[in-house]
Order: sequence, then structure tokens, then C-alpha cells
Amino acid sequence: MRRHRLRPLTFGRRRAAPTTGPSRPSPCRRGEGIAGMARAATLALALTASPALAEEALVTAQGANILAVVDLDTDTVVAQIPVDGAPAGIALSPDRRTAYVTRPEGHGIAVVDLEARTVTSTLPVPGGPLGIAVNPKSGAVYVADWYGSRIFVISPDGAKIETEIQVGASPSGIAVTPDGATILVANREGNSVSVVDAATATETVKIPVGEHPFGITLDATGTRAYTANVTSNDVSVIDVAERREFGRVTTGERPYVVALTDTRGFVTDQYSNTVTVFNLKTLTNVAAIDVGDHPEGIAASRDGSRIYVTNWGTNTLGVIDATTLKPLKDIPVPDGPRSFGDFLR
Amino acid sequence: MRFKTLAAVAALATVSYAAQAHGPTRQKVSESIEINAPADKVWALVGNFQDASWIPVVEKTEGKGGNDVKATRVLTLKGGATVEEELAKYDAEKKTYMYRIDKVDVKTLPVNDYSSTIELSGDGAKTKVTWRGAFYRGYMNNDPPPDLNDDASKAAVLGLYKAGLENLKAKAEKGS
Repeated sequence: MRRHRLRPLTFGRRRAAPTTGPSRPSPCRRGEGIAGMARAATLALALTASPALAEEALVTAQGANILAVVDLDTDTVVAQIPVDGAPAGIALSPDRRTAYVTRPEGHGIAVVDLEARTVTSTLPVPGGPLGIAVNPKSGAVYVADWYGSRIFVISPDGAKIETEIQVGASPSGIAVTPDGATILVANREGNSVSVVDAATATETVKIPVGEHPFGITLDATGTRAYTANVTSNDVSVIDVAERREFGRVTTGERPYVVALTDTRGFVTDQYSNTVTVFNLKTLTNVAAIDVGDHPEGIAASRDGSRIYVTNWGTNTLGVIDATTLKPLKDIPVPDGPRSFGDFLR
Repeated sequence: MRFKTLAAVAALATVSYAAQAHGPTRQKVSESIEINAPADKVWALVGNFQDASWIPVVEKTEGKGGNDVKATRVLTLKGGATVEEELAKYDAEKKTYMYRIDKVDVKTLPVNDYSSTIELSGDGAKTKVTWRGAFYRGYMNNDPPPDLNDDASKAAVLGLYKAGLENLKAKAEKGS
């Protein structure tokens, strides 16, 4: 589903720039507690010293029909953007300014301007649009038809369906290699991962995996992919170049999505209400962290220090320390948070 | 629990493909009730997984495994329909348990992949009982008919919860 992003540090501070958004918190809070005259200097120092925590989580609240924007400095919901059709999947444009949200019950997608915090357009998509990803090079948007065996290729502006690509049954999570050349699709009913050549829009091979793969995540280099097998309760580790599964990691019950740091994988276990942690090198289990009810979407902050997980049942965005593996916080969000996809920016 | 009479509904329910794909939108409902009885007394009525007689529509509970995780039970409802269920979590100390429906006809309860949690919290003479459910709608494919859509599924489960909790309250407060 999600690329583990490589991001230059300068990019990481983008949000410190003043914006016109009505609910943007002022970066000056970093200087609070310091005398006013010193505030500017303190701010500058703080900006240099804390490189990568400032991010936003974009939470698709399926029950509430809302895309919630959570500021991860203040851990609060700073915007609620109405999106009808039971929003579930999410992907971001290469410049991280546009979100594409699937609306499986509206049969379409919504295009969201994240600076203006508003839906700028919607596009009907047939079938059950659920999984979604964006090509990091071309900006093409890929949408999986849960009820079919195809993914749609949608133009970067979200205005039209350009073509469709045949894959396995009930395609779910989608991931795209950093070079934009290869699309991986987890076929839930097909028990396989489709490897698709982006340039020719054709499937080249299906890699057999566990039972009912749902989310799929690539590492930063596009070398390995990890897909969560919902009913065999494990994660299949795929060697992308060799087009084969080469490892399996046991998880809790009903694993859903995998997030990655440099050293560890984190898997939401929907039925166990845990996040399974495993070592990426040895593919062995490290821990199981208790989280909220029915955890779904999961992602690592860009500096790898935090894990964010949407708890569908408890209506929270859980924050986990990726090093100590301790839960740090539960941020209340609107009803039915899913964030199935690339939801941090 | 509802009993559908339209043959068409049964036909529709079997249209979806053989594999157990459900809809893309899981539903949830929650219902609570305050009972004027201590938690121990309410737990005695509701806490045995092998006895679902506190749910009005249940005629008979048969099962095995007691209150251990993975215990199973088959509920026979008034009218003859059955529901097969499995215990997933059980904590007598916290007075809560979670179970799943392994098998039910959507004509009986229009849901798929159903899980349910019962939770008691006591405050001396009073007990709050919460019954929560998570499930997909009865119709597993796209564009569901009205009686198997998300709203119909939620309404059916909520109706079951309300009736069950009211009956539990009546039993507990009567002292039976």
C-alpha cells in the first residue's frame, strides 16, 4: 500500500512555513515559555534541532464520512473535510499536496487539496474502489476494484480513468516502486501479489503468497515488499527483483497492513487488537503491542521514531514509540478511522 | 433477530462469489443499559458463554469448551434457525468477553464477519452493560438490496442488542 518514503530534510520542514490554512497551528508554539524577544531565535533553533516530527496524519473516518487532518505536533484534529461514500483508502501526490481518497460506497474517489483543506473534485469509479496508490514519478493514480480483478489507472489530476489493468481477484493494497516502474497489487481472493509493469500497464507475473493478502508495503529502496495475509495470520516477504516470496513472519490474528522503519516491521492485527513487531533482518518476532480495537491503517513517521495506527473500533489514532515500542498516546478522531494507504505527510 | 420471508432475499444472498469476500465497509453498533443490580449478579446471568438464555430469541444453547477461548456454542432460536458462535476473549475479572459468529444465515441476522463484545462495569448497586458489535452487511457484493444493506444490518443488530439488554435488566432486577 505504502511506500516507506525517502525524504530530504528540507522537505521535512515544509510545514514550518506560514500558510493560509485557518487551523494551522503557529510554529511559534515551539518558542513558548521563552521571553518574547528570544522567541524568534529559539524558533530557528528548534526548527534545526527537531528535523522530522512535524507531520500530518490524514485519517479517513469511514463511519463519519470525513477526512480528518491530525497535526502530529499538537496531536489534535485540526481539520475535518467532509467526504461522502464511506472513505477508506488514501494516497498522496508526489508533492504531498493532494490526497486521493477512495469512496467504496460512493463508487468513486475524491481529490482533496490538502493546503486548502477541501475536496476539489470527485470521479466516479466502477466496482468497489478501496485500495489506492500513486506513482511517485508520473503521479498516475491506481485504484483497486475490490469486487473485481482489475486496477484502474487515473490521471494525476484525478479527472479521468485512462485505462484498467487486469490483476488477481479482489485486489486490495497497492504499492509502487520508488522508480515508478513497477506496481505491486495484493490480490485478496487470489492469494497472490500481481507484479505490473507501469509503462505497458500489464501484469507480468503473479507471486503466490499467504491467504488473503490485504495491505502491501515496499521498503524505501523498493527491494522488498511485505504483504499482510489476513486469514493465514502472517506476513509474506517478497523479493521484488526475483519476483518471489522468500520469507514469512507470524503475526496476531487477522493482520491487515504493514509499516516499516529501517530495522523493523509493524503489523496491525485486526482481531488481536495488537501491533506485531518483527525484525526485518531476521524476520523474527520482537513484540506484540496492545493497541485499540480493530487496528487498521499503520505508518511510520518519516524519521522512523513513531508509528501511527488507526483504531477503527475505538476511534483513535494511536501513537507508538518505534524504539521503545511503548504506546505514547491515543488521539481521538472521528468515527471509523481506517487510513488504508499512504496517510502521513 | 429477524426472519425474512422473501425467497428473493435468500437467492440474492448466495449470488456473491464463492470466496468469502465481504463488503469494503465494516459497520459497528453499540448499545448500553443501566441495571439496578450489582455487577456480580448481572455477570451470573450473562457471563456464562454456554447459556445465552438471557437473549429473548434464544431457545437453546448447546456448546463445548465452557468459557475458554475457542469455546463454541450453537444457539437455536425460536423458530428453528441456528447461529454458530465462538468465544474469542474472556476475562471474568473484568467481566467482559468477545465472541464471533462462525455461521449464520443472513435471513436470520443479515451480517458477515460478525464479532461482538459484552462488557460490564459496576458501581455498587448498579451495573452498566455495554454490548458492541462489528460486522459487514448481509449482502457481500456491490450495490446491496435494501434489506441486506449497511443500514439494515445495523438496525437488525441494534434490535437484537436492545431486546437482549432489556431482558437482561428485567431478569437481574427481578432477582430471578
